Amino acid sequence: MSVNPSRRRFLGGAAAAGIAASSMNMDVLKAEALSNELKKNGKRVLLLWLAGGASQLETWDPKPGRLTGGPYQAIQTSLPGVQISELMPKMATRLHNTAIIRSLNTQIGDHGGGARLMHLGRRDEPNLKYPDMGSVLARELGRPDLQVPDYVSFYTATEGRGNAVGQPGFLGARYAPMFLTTDNKPAHLSRLEDITDLDHKERADLRALLSNRFAKGRVSESLGSHNVAYGRVRGLMSSEKLFDLSDEPQKIKDRYGNSLFAQQAMVARRLVEAGTPFVKVARAWWDSHGQNFETHLELVTELDHVMSTLLEDLEERGLLEDTLVVTLAEFGRTPTINASLGRDHFARAWSASLTGCGIQGGTVFGATDEDGQHVKDNEIGAAELFATIYKAVGIDPHHEYFVGSRPIPLVDPGTHAVDEVLA
Amino acid sequence: MLKKLSLLAAVLLCPGINHAQDLLPPETSIQDAVDHYIKSEQATGNIQPAAQVDDYVLMRRTMLDLAGRIPTIAEVEAYVADEDPQKRVKLVDRLMAQPEFTEQLAYDLNNILAPAGKTDLELYLVDALTAQKGWDTMFADMIYGNYEEEMPKQAMQFVNLRISDIDNLTNATSALFFGVNISCAKCHDHPLVSEWTQAHFYGMKSFFNRSFSNGDFVAERAYGEIKYATTSGEQLDAQLMFLTGSVIEEPEPVVLDDEGKKKEKADFEQLKKDKKPAPAPAFSRRAQLIEIALRENDREYFSKNIANRMWHRIYGYGLVMPLDQMHPENPPSHPDLLDWLARDTYANGYNLPRLIRGLVLSQTYSQSSRYDGEKRPAEFWFAAANVKPLSPRQYAAALAIAARNPAHWEDASEAESRIANEVKAQRGWANKFAVPNDEFQVSVDEALLFSNDTAFEDKIKVSNDRLGGELAKLETTEAMVQRAIKAVYSRPATPEEVQAISAYLDARNDRREDAISQIVWALMTSSELRFNH
Amino acid sequence: MFQADPQNFRELKTTTRPDIMLRMIRNEDSGEIYVGSSDAKVYKVNPMAEEPEFLPFEGHTSYVMGLVDTGKYLVSGSYDKSLIWWNKETQQQVRRIELAHDRWIRNLAITPDKKHVLSVADDMICKIWDAESGELVRELVSHIKISEEGFPNMLYAVTVSPDGKLVATVDRIAKIKIWDFETGEELKELEAPKCYTWDAKARIHAIGGIRSVSFSPDGTQLAVGGIGQIGNVDHLGAAGRVELFDVASGEKLHMFEGDDKHKGLVEQIIFHPSGKWIMAVGGDHNGWIQFMDLEKKEVLKQVKAPMHVHQMVVTSDFSTAYGAGHNRLAVWSFEPKPEPEPEPQDN
Repeated sequence: MSVNPSRRRFLGGAAAAGIAASSMNMDVLKAEALSNELKKNGKRVLLLWLAGGASQLETWDPKPGRLTGGPYQAIQTSLPGVQISELMPKMATRLHNTAIIRSLNTQIGDHGGGARLMHLGRRDEPNLKYPDMGSVLARELGRPDLQVPDYVSFYTATEGRGNAVGQPGFLGARYAPMFLTTDNKPAHLSRLEDITDLDHKERADLRALLSNRFAKGRVSESLGSHNVAYGRVRGLMSSEKLFDLSDEPQKIKDRYGNSLFAQQAMVARRLVEAGTPFVKVARAWWDSHGQNFETHLELVTELDHVMSTLLEDLEERGLLEDTLVVTLAEFGRTPTINASLGRDHFARAWSASLTGCGIQGGTVFGATDEDGQHVKDNEIGAAELFATIYKAVGIDPHHEYFVGSRPIPLVDPGTHAVDEVLA
Repeated sequence: MLKKLSLLAAVLLCPGINHAQDLLPPETSIQDAVDHYIKSEQATGNIQPAAQVDDYVLMRRTMLDLAGRIPTIAEVEAYVADEDPQKRVKLVDRLMAQPEFTEQLAYDLNNILAPAGKTDLELYLVDALTAQKGWDTMFADMIYGNYEEEMPKQAMQFVNLRISDIDNLTNATSALFFGVNISCAKCHDHPLVSEWTQAHFYGMKSFFNRSFSNGDFVAERAYGEIKYATTSGEQLDAQLMFLTGSVIEEPEPVVLDDEGKKKEKADFEQLKKDKKPAPAPAFSRRAQLIEIALRENDREYFSKNIANRMWHRIYGYGLVMPLDQMHPENPPSHPDLLDWLARDTYANGYNLPRLIRGLVLSQTYSQSSRYDGEKRPAEFWFAAANVKPLSPRQYAAALAIAARNPAHWEDASEAESRIANEVKAQRGWANKFAVPNDEFQVSVDEALLFSNDTAFEDKIKVSNDRLGGELAKLETTEAMVQRAIKAVYSRPATPEEVQAISAYLDARNDRREDAISQIVWALMTSSELRFNH
Repeated sequence: MFQADPQNFRELKTTTRPDIMLRMIRNEDSGEIYVGSSDAKVYKVNPMAEEPEFLPFEGHTSYVMGLVDTGKYLVSGSYDKSLIWWNKETQQQVRRIELAHDRWIRNLAITPDKKHVLSVADDMICKIWDAESGELVRELVSHIKISEEGFPNMLYAVTVSPDGKLVATVDRIAKIKIWDFETGEELKELEAPKCYTWDAKARIHAIGGIRSVSFSPDGTQLAVGGIGQIGNVDHLGAAGRVELFDVASGEKLHMFEGDDKHKGLVEQIIFHPSGKWIMAVGGDHNGWIQFMDLEKKEVLKQVKAPMHVHQMVVTSDFSTAYGAGHNRLAVWSFEPKPEPEPEPQDN
């Protein structure tokens, strides 16, 4: 049998350049060892995205007594020898599930580029659209039979919203986020009054019948995704109540408080409780070029309260061991204090925190020098952090997707998870 | 020296080196050339193509591609009933003569050329296509501009919207006009394509580095060079070099002393205040890009790119994929066909409508998208039509036409203007959908919108001006299903459809109107309306 | 002696420092100058010296945000929540009140008779202390602790009227309270709402607040300073702003809304003893001094400072001004320039 020359040429080119996504080729992961499947079963990730860039010095990596340290004191935490900013008194008492990473050097110091890097875990490549962390986790941790959305993203402030990348990339729109901006409840999740639930369901069945007849003998990614999207509608609608806090007990609501961030954290807890594998709650906007200490007094105080309440709530419900809570931003802030008493963008030496699922609680990884200007020990970048997050929830960071015939590992080759913070 | 060798190689290997003697003669029609090359390749690969479509599907497909909407029942029935053997050609020529053809082409080109979400080029493109400008002239308008005339001024938005980031402008120009994405070569020689070096990236960037935004206009200085560092740390001066490796010899840059610079700055400021364009320098680097990209030995990137992009637009898959990876290590699936099309396009003044006309008249175009054979051949064989997701505007228009009571379109003297009005009136729906790209997938947001949105509920309700209103008045269920399917899918219903829909209706005798509305919902949300097949 | 002309105001000297000089006072009798620093120290310094020496007073652990001179002692307050009474000669602590407030101390003031020291802090309480014994005499409590938007309020500044009868305090949400010094009764609440920007939509946090407050020499007027409404709350991106009130009626007399070339916070307002004009000092990334005519209600002069100025003192004869600010100390003169050279104009 002769090999078609143009086909041969074509495949050569495809292998070299990478061709458009084909999810048919991405099912390699399905063949993973069963034990691994079981291990990640039921794991979730909740990302508190501190948009605009929270200061490491006013949170996880204080430098008391140094000019760069600013006016806040450091306070002793429940961990011997570990201090965090005095703005986080509540978190200071409950670091037993948390690992602090103080040695991120991610190099990109603009909001757009930094946010992309810290969402994708790698730099953009022009010809390949990478999925963000949420889409990867939705795909890896989501179960087809789950009647809840598998990627929910809150971002209510308008500043920097476009930077908060929720992109399924080559994984396809199936793993796109449900992106909530103006309302804490997704649009079009409730059935209109003038149709009964039964008719709503059965007209969808009729649609599926017609649409499936049409799809027969035709092959296309887009076509497949159309029917998949409609297939998810009824399940998603049944999760509507998760977004409605009215049935949440008053004493829980009181604990969280009334701030928007707190309300969204509460919805996030309800979602992960119901099995949503990835929720991102963005708190914007931390970009304190002027009046850093005032801004951080407002925002870290709120973060301390919301984060500690959330962790406590998850722990009480037995969810924390299966839920990884991450605090992350596009970068940190300069140790040098400018004349507006602000701090500027700083990607060279900053911090993140990981709490709960798969994490060795009570650890601090990496260190910056005495003024916080450089990483002194155990420098890591975005790829290592992503590898750590994936590994914490039982996903092998070195597994590969295939885009066409090109293998794409979950994180850039040659990077490894930080085992020191993993349980 | 290695670099020099690779430059030489680039020229030699540059896509589709002339072998005109092997190609079909220039006087061959486009459709014949397409079918010749596609079929002979299929024969070599022992590939069985899909069947040709019937008149219903062909009418719908052609209408969507050329007029941006689905046909009405009256239109499709008239076409099917027409016994003229030339009816297909006549349909194509009739549709192409209407303003909707130009509007849709301009809309699609804008979606390709303008930064995501921007519509700034659309008006210009309508104007240019209406004036029968060739693609080469449009390219010149968009890159070099002409502030004397209103519309070419609009064209400069291609540059203007990207001028704050010259790297992006360089890459967009290379990718969109030449099918070459060289952004990888910015920091290092391209990892996959040995021919693309940093010299190419900075060479291409040099065509733009003297340009800047001066108020509402793009201006250009007569000086300014690019230096770049290689991965080994060497500092190099960029040459004015095109993708082919051809270098333009240019006059020494103008040298201004501090006084001169001051004056120049003041002049630009004054022009900005007066809202006037600055005159181009005697030697404009942007003008040089037009010159070199279109000249005989360097124009293949330009001509092949547009042929490939138009092919992709009609057939749903490029002869080179991805569209911006047109390089020697990623050859076309049908190199001779691309060569032929590029030559034909160039020889005919880069006339895009002419090219499109040929593409939609081929037998390759009228293959079914349904493949009933054992294993569907891969896309690059073009052995079956690809289903193409509708553009946001096409989908809005399809919904608009399908949702109205078909009686609204029946009066032949009124139909044309009524259709045009309705399509325009419902265009706002386009904003609810994403512009599809090659990896397009329908989001669950879209499915939720159609499932639970009051505005869409209004489209499917049973009322006099809606499809449901007419259906409710029909006597038999069979007639109702036939009418509904023809209104939404532009074809007769199958027995299975009649049966399934009748059963749905029978189960709801107590709420017939609700049932009709639900049936309309199911038809309109199904994939058969969402895609061009 | 009070004939100082703002038009003559000019910079004499600057001294560069690695730290941020946040507070400054000058003993009118001895001419000694003390500054409070971001390095948690108080320094005695002669800014006119060729190479000024900085004599440290060590004891605080955070920014020194308040300094007063009782005559006998120097008293300092800090973000570390403590107040310290210092022996000026030995630089030793005489008294330390460790938790004078529950939160950051933002500023101090002293009564004209120097018998009482007032402190304001983010616990939103103004505390009146016996300057000699350090006893807490009285607390002025009514500024709200949490803003309507749910964030901590901050009590930035305090001042006492020239007759010693009234106290004025100002906060982040731009409320001004006037108190009876003797009874501690709240007499009046005024506001300058333009000084507080709450961004509910784009960035969901606040910026601004009233940062400075001063009575006129006759006690009839009260001037407050801060910053105008800010579009982008990431930056001190609005003009420095001064609002003037009639103390008796509470009526707002004038608003100096500033201009875009002088953005930032008005950190301090100094009345000329004539009561006819004021100096407003402050800045953002850059610093400035602005002179405003209270009768004509117009800006007399604007001078670029070599740094964002946090506090300034003017000698009682209004011949010389000293300023503390971001990484710098500076000295200015009101004396006409001896030689008829063209003066550097800034406006």
